Amino acid sequence: MERTTLSRPMAIALAFMAVIWVSPFAWLFSNAFDTAATGRLVWPQNFGIDNFTGAIGGDAGRMFLNSLLIAAGTATISVVVGAAAAYPLSRLRMPGKNALLWTLVLLRMLPSVGVLVPLYFAAQRSGLLNQFGVMLALSCLNLPFTLLLLKNFFDTVPIELEEAAYVDGASLWQIVTGIVLPMSRAGLAVVWFFSFTGAWNEFLLPLIFSRVEAAFPMSVGLYGAFGRMGAIDYGFLAAFSIIYAAPAVGVYFLLRRNMNTGFAGVGVKG
Amino acid sequence: MRHQANPWITSNLWLLSAAMLPAIILVGALLFFTGWAITFSFTDLGLTGRKAVEWSWVGLENYERLFTRKGFLESLWTTVIFVFFSAIVGQSVLGFLLAATLRGTVSTTRSVVEVCIMLGWLLPDIVAAFLWSATTSQTGLINSLFVVPFGLKPINFINDFALPVVTLANIWKGTAWSYLLFVAALDSVPREIIEAAKIDGATRWQRAWLVVLPIIRPHIATNLLFITIWTFTYFPLIFAMTGGGPGRQTETLALFLYNQSFARGNLGFGSAISVAMLLIVGALSTVYLRMLREPK
Repeated sequence: MERTTLSRPMAIALAFMAVIWVSPFAWLFSNAFDTAATGRLVWPQNFGIDNFTGAIGGDAGRMFLNSLLIAAGTATISVVVGAAAAYPLSRLRMPGKNALLWTLVLLRMLPSVGVLVPLYFAAQRSGLLNQFGVMLALSCLNLPFTLLLLKNFFDTVPIELEEAAYVDGASLWQIVTGIVLPMSRAGLAVVWFFSFTGAWNEFLLPLIFSRVEAAFPMSVGLYGAFGRMGAIDYGFLAAFSIIYAAPAVGVYFLLRRNMNTGFAGVGVKG
Repeated sequence: MRHQANPWITSNLWLLSAAMLPAIILVGALLFFTGWAITFSFTDLGLTGRKAVEWSWVGLENYERLFTRKGFLESLWTTVIFVFFSAIVGQSVLGFLLAATLRGTVSTTRSVVEVCIMLGWLLPDIVAAFLWSATTSQTGLINSLFVVPFGLKPINFINDFALPVVTLANIWKGTAWSYLLFVAALDSVPREIIEAAKIDGATRWQRAWLVVLPIIRPHIATNLLFITIWTFTYFPLIFAMTGGGPGRQTETLALFLYNQSFARGNLGFGSAISVAMLLIVGALSTVYLRMLREPK
């Protein structure tokens, strides 16, 4: 399509949309830095960062650590389990491989609410209604996606390099750790951060798996705080929200280029 | 395709199989859970109390309840409205229009709008829910900007217009995905074809409708497949904003499933709901996948 300059009504419409999209964020920041925030959109009356210090200490700080634990744990389990299986899946010629890959594609579409009851039931029976249970359940739900993505990345590692290393006397372990993993570093990072942000944002599983307040991650904590009746401490919640949202947003802009590659490779088979 | 067996692979078959084992167990567990959901749906299993231990088979009773008692069909209808307006009309159409409009513009405009809509997408669900609850509350942004200055009484949007508010919030949150996908799709349309259509005298509208859309049809199908399924089963945003209320106005199937299973403790009935949801998702996927495969 030709490069055109925008017509005036179009430009106004776009500007209007941008304002709509951004105004909740403006509200969020103006309240977070206002120690006497009332939930209105005004320039901070009492400018200060007390809300932030409040949102990283005490209960809120523990929730941050819980979220970090769940997210990092899920991402690590997903990548380790996924990579260990994706390499054989990429290199091995075995019967039923296509059927297996299709099963993974289908399972990827499986909505987590569809298996919510059995997940809860299994966790309850095996005493896993805790953070480790959340990690395991999330990794389990992630795995089809992780496996497919990592297999695609391993497929792009040229097998000639592995052959050369083998001829030089390298063992399987040396080939994998010396060639395959370093060459798919970007892919591994993308999968790790994808799983990390997914688990960081996750709400439903921690909600039903966390039996005690000490185990709440930030998502459940934030929900509990603004769902509660009575006076809402907008300043604190706004600061808490910013801290909670920062890692997910930051990771994306950090990995933007790699993410788009992964996105294009798996999302669309045009 | 690899035709030769690679010695470092074939001599380590056992090791590699062992490496695959954890993944096989987890994927197997996922399949097993799906089967379990189906099994549970034929029982009266409860979350707590006597029925948690001494459950019994009830045949198709749970499925009868889906259609005879109030609840399921109403929820299904709410879900259909929510999916149609927030995913298909809102995110998909808006995402496409944005992608098409921004293609020709200078890169600064483009990146500003892009960052704006990306932020909504990247935000955790619960933060988005908090933002929109606060924005639409009686002292919130919308009331203080658009209602009170005109001398009107502040409106409690989340109570009076619950479904439109969560629909809007979801459009705000989810448009980025469709936008990104359509940007990639429009980039894949060969420039020559459009130029040729232009020379043949096709109007702007004809070029879009008869040339571009048929080429990007697979992308449209992929996009619809993903966003329909996500929105259909989307839980946190609505749950945190309204909890399904007021009354049952915003109780989509995911919330209905949660409320029945974990608030009321009817795990058996909850499983029947999840099986129904899986069937609907499966049917939708088949339709879209067929759309994807059909010859152009």
